[in-house]
Amino acid sequence: MKKNSFYVLTGCIALVLLAVFWYSVEIHNPIPIEIVFVAGIAVIYFARRTVTDLIEDERSAKITEKAALRTFQVFWVLFCAFSIGAVMQILYIPTFPRDKFLDHPPEILGPRLMGYVQLGLLCLMIFLYVAFRIYYARKYGDWETDEE
Amino acid sequence: MKNKIKVFRAMHDLTQEDLAHAIGVTRQTILAIEKGKYVPSLDLAFKIARHFQVNIEEVFQYDEPYMSVDID
Repeated sequence: MKKNSFYVLTGCIALVLLAVFWYSVEIHNPIPIEIVFVAGIAVIYFARRTVTDLIEDERSAKITEKAALRTFQVFWVLFCAFSIGAVMQILYIPTFPRDKFLDHPPEILGPRLMGYVQLGLLCLMIFLYVAFRIYYARKYGDWETDEE
Repeated sequence: MKNKIKVFRAMHDLTQEDLAHAIGVTRQTILAIEKGKYVPSLDLAFKIARHFQVNIEEVFQYDEPYMSVDID
């Protein structure tokens, strides 16, 4: 498969995912988008292995590796901070009515809010990754120009 | 890390694209190495040197950091 065909395929899969997402919203069932998402990513991974044009060498691998590592370093701190905050809310710390808590656990962080927060963190992670990628690509000479 | 890839390319009448294709990297990687933006792995450095049929030290020179030596 040629590099451009791979990019077109990736774009098509993204469109399909978007369509299935809205279909899942319509039918109030998350299963279709979850299955199609995993399948779509698997197809992209397999298709990428069949690309014959050179799209990655050790420098681009290093850029990817560094960007992923930095994203992870930032993300786990934010995720831990959020999780600690969520646990504290659930436990009503510091106003901790222990006797009432066991009978009526508070529902501050419902599943809907949790979903939004997860989506927000995921978007943040993607933006962070793109930003780090741009930074390291620039650092390792991706946009250098030459007289040739 | 300094290198003389550009010089060797000129000697062998090779473009960056030619060299990149020959050693299996992208042209941007050759350009980044030439400009000192990226230090290649030992494997890639050997490939480049082998391609020009010279020793690796002839293509790449390690910049020794200045070290002061106390003389009694």
